[in-house]
Amino acid sequence: MPVTGTQVDNEAIRLACRLGKKNKAKIWVVYVITVRRSLPIEAEIEPEIRKAEDLLDSIEGVAGEENYEVKTDVLQAREAGSAIVDEAVERGVDLIVMGIPYKRRFGLFSLGTVVPYVLTNAPCRIILYREHSA
Amino acid sequence: MVNSWRPKPGDVSLRVVRPVKLHRALGIPGLFSTAYGDVGSSIYYALGIVAISALGLTPAVLTFSAILFLFTGLTYAEGATALPEAGGTGAFARRAFNDLISFITSWGLMLDYLVTIAISAFSVANYLGHFFPVCSTWPTNSLVGIGIVAFLAGVNILGIRLSSRLNMTLVILDILTQLTVVVFGVLLIINIPTLIHNVHWGTAPTLNQLLFGISISMVAYTGIETVANLGSEARHPSKQIPRTVLLVFATVIVLYSLLSMTALSAYPVHQFDNHWVSDLTERFLQDPIMGIAYAMPGAVKEILSFWVAILAVTILTIATNAGIIGSSRLAYFMGKRQQLPTGISSVQLRFRVPWRAIVIFSSLACLMIILGNVSILADLYAFGAMLAYTMAHVSIIALRVKEPNLKRPFKIPLNIRIRRKDIPITAVIGGLATAMTWLIVVYTHEYGRVVGFAWILIGLLIYILFRRLTHRPLVAKVPEGQPKLERILYPTQPTSQKPEGKDIVDFTREDYNTKHPP
Repeated sequence: MPVTGTQVDNEAIRLACRLGKKNKAKIWVVYVITVRRSLPIEAEIEPEIRKAEDLLDSIEGVAGEENYEVKTDVLQAREAGSAIVDEAVERGVDLIVMGIPYKRRFGLFSLGTVVPYVLTNAPCRIILYREHSA
Repeated sequence: MVNSWRPKPGDVSLRVVRPVKLHRALGIPGLFSTAYGDVGSSIYYALGIVAISALGLTPAVLTFSAILFLFTGLTYAEGATALPEAGGTGAFARRAFNDLISFITSWGLMLDYLVTIAISAFSVANYLGHFFPVCSTWPTNSLVGIGIVAFLAGVNILGIRLSSRLNMTLVILDILTQLTVVVFGVLLIINIPTLIHNVHWGTAPTLNQLLFGISISMVAYTGIETVANLGSEARHPSKQIPRTVLLVFATVIVLYSLLSMTALSAYPVHQFDNHWVSDLTERFLQDPIMGIAYAMPGAVKEILSFWVAILAVTILTIATNAGIIGSSRLAYFMGKRQQLPTGISSVQLRFRVPWRAIVIFSSLACLMIILGNVSILADLYAFGAMLAYTMAHVSIIALRVKEPNLKRPFKIPLNIRIRRKDIPITAVIGGLATAMTWLIVVYTHEYGRVVGFAWILIGLLIYILFRRLTHRPLVAKVPEGQPKLERILYPTQPTSQKPEGKDIVDFTREDYNTKHPP
């Protein structure tokens, strides 16, 4: 389950935990640090790493409230979409759960660029959890 | 189990940060398009610069420097796969020697990136002259070039991305365009007797001119150091990096040789005012490929010149951007290794790029563009490039001697055994050739000598001042970064497992590893 630091992540992780309970599934939560081309891929962007750590700690806490233990990872990539898809392929996951905020662009609801990429290229099932529009 | 533990102010503990996993996405198409996108754009300005000196021997000179390119590319391939980190030659030199030599190497390479930015942006303006003739005259071409650099610097700081798929498409179009020019050149223009008569041994070119031309010909391969940056991004670097080098070499040697033969068939060497010249350099010094397009007959000329102008503008803009990205990455590496003040290369959350480095080095490139002279820029490039390439070869040889057991996913073939150490022949030949070429540059290129040494001296002053002020040694390697631990104001978590008297760092590490097994 990729997370981005928005409000919907907490709701999405709760959903993932409840879905996973039945089959005692393993849940991996990943945060992707996207590195601009002006930096090497292995650059240590301290503010981003700190943000990732805090977010994943918080997600672990929310999962703990659901009595579920999740594994967390920080990925660093040029493109978040391809990193998520490749991680899913590598781990052989059965399902990706993605929480998406309600964002508008030029007055229209927008999925952004990462979600369409994952929807197009991921080999497994995907559940999109969109936050409330209010 | 619900965790009811909460921190209270004043308490301290340590925690281990999660290891970051790098996502390597590039395959050979992506690697090739990145590398050729840099290298393949150089012919759009290099052909004229080399032809001024090498005259009828331009094809031979470009072929010779293509071989040097191959040897240097193989050296970079071994270094990039063994030491997959930003910094390229600087990283090799640091591992093989020390921080001072690494700094001199990196600073020379930085000069190359600045020249790449300046010469590519300046050339964009000259090719725009096909549509707007005023753009190819000074100072308009300099102003346009500066505008392009400023725009791209802004794009990089704001984080607007050029899609990698678009980049690949443009590179393929560029190769097809050059191939088209070559095919028409072979069918309509190339004349072997003309090429033979272009060479007047000893007079056109003279030995000095030939050496001058050889020394400057590496400007046709600007972007070769990109290979060193690709090591950490390739999915399977040990196979893909060397294959990319060979693929780029094969492409450039064919295209550059045939393009130069076409150019010198269309604009033969002749005497003018007691000098041997070619109309290629008299009329098309700053846009030589356009000169080839104009030499085509009839409708081919109209279509090809239009298409070449558009492609040249696009590809050279991408090359300018690549130079900005390269200088930014190099500045990051130098800041990380305490070779430049970290304030220059630090990354804040707002822009997520080393924006100060981008602004500083783009501004320096703009100063170079004001000169409005591609030959002077090529002089500067030759100075920095030969220094950096020589150090790359020397570093790889030194690492073979000092660290024979270093893991080398790709090892250069063709080695000679000296005192039980395998020394790569291509690195020896390449190192000697680039060193000699650097000496020729220093001896024969006035601008390269004066500005190049001034650049190195200014850099050394900055380095020495910075190291002294921060109480760091000048020569020895400064330790790399901090351990992956951070101190935060949290209470130490009381558990029944906490042994008395155990080192808190070990305990925290064990505690983390238990909860997060690899």
